[in-house]
Amino acid sequence: MSAVNQFVFILIGLCILLCVLALLKKDVLSVKYSLLWLLCGSGLLLIAVFPYIIYVIRDIFDMVMPSNVVFMILFGFVLLLLLSHSIAVTELSHKSKRQTQSIALLEKRVRELEAQLHNKDHEA
Amino acid sequence: MKHSDVLVIIPCYNEEANIQKVIQRLIDTCPDVDYLVVNDCSTDRSEAILQENHFNYVTLPVNLGIGGGVQTGYRYARDNGYKIAVQMDGDGQHSPDYLESVIAPVRSGELDQCIGSRFLEKEGFQSSPLRRFGIRFLSTLIYLLSGVKVHDVTSGFRATGPELTAFFADNYAADYPEPEAIMTATLAGFKIGEAPVIMNERLGGISSIRSFKSAYYMIKVSLALVIDRMSCHRKGGSHA
Repeated sequence: MSAVNQFVFILIGLCILLCVLALLKKDVLSVKYSLLWLLCGSGLLLIAVFPYIIYVIRDIFDMVMPSNVVFMILFGFVLLLLLSHSIAVTELSHKSKRQTQSIALLEKRVRELEAQLHNKDHEA
Repeated sequence: MKHSDVLVIIPCYNEEANIQKVIQRLIDTCPDVDYLVVNDCSTDRSEAILQENHFNYVTLPVNLGIGGGVQTGYRYARDNGYKIAVQMDGDGQHSPDYLESVIAPVRSGELDQCIGSRFLEKEGFQSSPLRRFGIRFLSTLIYLLSGVKVHDVTSGFRATGPELTAFFADNYAADYPEPEAIMTATLAGFKIGEAPVIMNERLGGISSIRSFKSAYYMIKVSLALVIDRMSCHRKGGSHA
């Protein structure tokens, strides 16, 4: 890995970390969903600072290009993030289903109470 | 207002052509049961019809699909202390004449859920051969996975006792819930059986399961049944 190469990777890793931290600070991103991103950013930074890790992994998996190892790791992170999003969507849709049902049941009670009040007003 | 210990839950999604006839027929045939129409955010005049006729209904603010809609009914039944909740389609396929025969086994405590089946006496509307094949496949799958034999697994005409109603109020499948509900209830230890009914062809509108969606339906439901079986095994193991 050339010095320029290494410099770019360090920059990308720092960028990810700083972006996530900035979003956390602004309260746009919750800590719960930031964990995977922080892991991704620090993983990339670790690799950029110690490129030796890449060569070890390349030898273990018997891959030709060290860059392919980087791509593989990044792709793994992307898959993990996507899966975590599917889990989050499932959880949210379950919650919104329960809320929708509660709203509908409450709306019915309000409608009935209003009708009762209306009738009482007319009697009085 | 509660008059009876039986609640008929009628899911309704874009049924402006049928809903008034269906409810009027229910009121005329069985004046001594309560009913609740669950309007699943219909985009047609369904809600206006329900309002004008002063029917007992709830309207979901967003569309949840049949599972989430029916579950709203089960929650209502549980919260208002109904002993028996009966699910009945809003499209006129299910005749209120058979309400009593579906309720009877649940009332006597013989079953926790009784499903109105059109295949026991093979009378009336029997659906297309391809659909019957699909239903038989799911029926066999449920038998193999849970050991309970239900012939008409997709029938939405079913009566439920109080414990199972409370269970469904918290656990009910989302998309195509009928076969899955049989599976989850059986695995949770509830007793399910069938009573013969005669069904009509739907009065109008379109079925929620259309032909091009059938393959997706079969795959999704089969997978859901297998996963239910797997997750139950794990739960059972941890309790034992």
